[in-house]
Amino acid sequence: MGGTQLKKSGMSVGAKQKAAGWGFLIVASAMIVVFSFWPMVSALITSFKTGSAANMKWADPVVFNYTRMFKDKVFMTSVGNTFLYLIIQVPIMLIVAILLAQLLNNKDLKLRGFFRTCIFLPCAVSLVSYSLIFRSLFATQGLINTILMNLHLINENINWLGQTGTARFVIILALVWRWTGYNMVFYLAGLQNIEYSVYEAAKIDGANGWKTFWHVTVPLLRPVIIMTFIMSINGTLQLFDESVNLTSGGPAGTTMTMSHYIYNNAFGTGVANFGYASAMSFFVFIIVAILAVINLKVGDTRD
Amino acid sequence: MKKKVVSVLLVAAMGAFTLAGCGGTAAAGGAADAGATAATEAAAPAADANAGGEEEAAPTADVASEGEHELSVYAWDANFNIPALEAAAEAYKAVDPDFTLNIVTQSGSSDVEQAVTLAASAGDYSTLPDIVLFQDHYIQKFVADYPDAWQDLEGANINWDDFGAEKLSYSTIGGKHYGAPVDNGTAVFAYRTDILEECGYTIDDVTGITWERWLEIAKDVKDKTGMALLSMDHSGDDLPYMFMQAEGKSQWKDNTTPDLVGNETFKKIIEVIVQGAQDGTIILANSWSDYTDQTIVGDQVAGVMNGNWIIPTIEQVDANSGKWALTTLPTLDGGKEGYAANGGSSLYITANCTKPDLAKDFLAYTFGGGEGSMETYDNALKNGGVITTCISAGKSGVYQEGVDYFGGQAIYADIVANGANVPVVQQSDFHYNMRTLVGNAITNIINGANIDDEIASAQEQLEFEIAGSQN
Repeated sequence: MGGTQLKKSGMSVGAKQKAAGWGFLIVASAMIVVFSFWPMVSALITSFKTGSAANMKWADPVVFNYTRMFKDKVFMTSVGNTFLYLIIQVPIMLIVAILLAQLLNNKDLKLRGFFRTCIFLPCAVSLVSYSLIFRSLFATQGLINTILMNLHLINENINWLGQTGTARFVIILALVWRWTGYNMVFYLAGLQNIEYSVYEAAKIDGANGWKTFWHVTVPLLRPVIIMTFIMSINGTLQLFDESVNLTSGGPAGTTMTMSHYIYNNAFGTGVANFGYASAMSFFVFIIVAILAVINLKVGDTRD
Repeated sequence: MKKKVVSVLLVAAMGAFTLAGCGGTAAAGGAADAGATAATEAAAPAADANAGGEEEAAPTADVASEGEHELSVYAWDANFNIPALEAAAEAYKAVDPDFTLNIVTQSGSSDVEQAVTLAASAGDYSTLPDIVLFQDHYIQKFVADYPDAWQDLEGANINWDDFGAEKLSYSTIGGKHYGAPVDNGTAVFAYRTDILEECGYTIDDVTGITWERWLEIAKDVKDKTGMALLSMDHSGDDLPYMFMQAEGKSQWKDNTTPDLVGNETFKKIIEVIVQGAQDGTIILANSWSDYTDQTIVGDQVAGVMNGNWIIPTIEQVDANSGKWALTTLPTLDGGKEGYAANGGSSLYITANCTKPDLAKDFLAYTFGGGEGSMETYDNALKNGGVITTCISAGKSGVYQEGVDYFGGQAIYADIVANGANVPVVQQSDFHYNMRTLVGNAITNIINGANIDDEIASAQEQLEFEIAGSQN
């Protein structure tokens, strides 16, 4: 960017830089609009239509798909399942993650890097593979049952994935295993941003370990906690791989998630009801938006 | 301020853009503002709904650049239907020496079915090959939904009377034949004769009996040996369908009217399955791999019933060679043998095929009972274990040979003969919805729910789903 060019175009340096900035942004933005926003708009239009993919027509009434989902018992079950995972799994996972982060942030701990890596490692595993591994671990003739039998803790093999309660337990366990380390990394990063002098000051004021954690660490970590909360809620509401691969939604659809049911309506069972599937996707979208707004309001300490 | 809004939107869009591709699990947004989260959320389900199958680049066919003597076909099983197609291509060289069949291997039948759905949804059939192979239960819905996607087989030189009527009932729509039958879905009930003997029974004692008697024998076998007498993948439970077909009954009044409530036969069938599951004589596995690897290959069952394509799974256990025998299904009233079918696929010509005459002639000559059919089906059986529904082709010498694994029984001839007896029952576009809901009902009944309530609620949900996709 030389002065000669500047004279030619007659733009000031600031204007020039701005123009360049927009120039860079426009390419990416255009791609986002085409590949991301347009499909979203298209999905919204689809959600007001019914019929099979090749000959879709406007629904009658237009909101037919939206009112229909509230009468759909299977969909309502899947909403219930998803919220059950959300309410039980997210708090457990985040509390365990923050405690692990606190432990592994200790400067005197040996092999810190090793432990951190170990706990983060599950995140490197593909969702489908880990679901399949959990499925075989908890199969009726699987490793878990064999171990429990040999320890004489159970008398006959438990059909983990064949009963509602145990199947949901396995999914929650799998989720905690897969995502705890991931959230821990955010907390670790947050903890490292807290000045050591703050802790020293707390110590001088006579705060014990618990008080320091609750009154110093947690408030300072608040932005990170809110972020992990939003991300976890978002992720749990979109839960798909585990439901499909670990339990196939069974037994009797009692572990099926919303995304899984949406997929079934679009592709899964050959029904190809794309309009209805899109409408349900927007239902999920609205729920996530509401939850995210509540979360931000609650977490916002500014007056 | 305006700038700030724009930049927030862009950041949000960035988040959405990077994440839309990951299939949407716990999002690594980074940008922790509501805009990003919301946009992400909207993008991911939209991707789910519209873009399935994009994640893996399945091999495709390029019909436009094909030669005059060339056809392309989608198939999926290198040990089963691909050898059958290779055999057909070889046989057709007698008519057209320059003929080549370009077999495009997919990873599963669902890939082919999704390729059809995607092409039809996009209104662009040019991505399809000349011919596709997929499961018979899909064709009725496919023709109803995408009538333009297919070219029928009227005018092809095929003697349709030479095929099992049940097989053709799937692919005949509005009086027109759409599919050339490939494999045979006739159900077999295989028993371990050594286990039966140990308990004092022979294969004849389990042939032509009632389900009530079967449950007694199964209980006896379970008590004496600890083995169950039947298993099924309960995540896609085909037992109710096959049991009903053996009675000559359907779960449907017509294409869109389920017949569950007040259907006494259906209720009795469900009672048999529930009783067996509670006795431990029928194992309802949680997944397909549990069903095949643990119950069948893992030697948990002394009986296997399914479409005859399950035979290669049974044969995986070398140690049990010579100990199995095939027979037919029990029925509710007994006194006769039960015949059913499950699965099986056919070849269909797509709208994208520019050489329908060649395609029709090829299918008629090979799979359609023409001069090349004996050679096609003999090699398909030898190389892929594909059993025909073509009655005349089933008379060849290869079919009469005894199979050592089944104690020298000429199982292929038996299966072809049984196939001709399978009753034609009412089919429906909503077969898989029915299967899922009936499977769920069975699970709930086993867990203590009332049978009549469960049947009623299955029917109600099914009617709801059918009404929704017909609005």
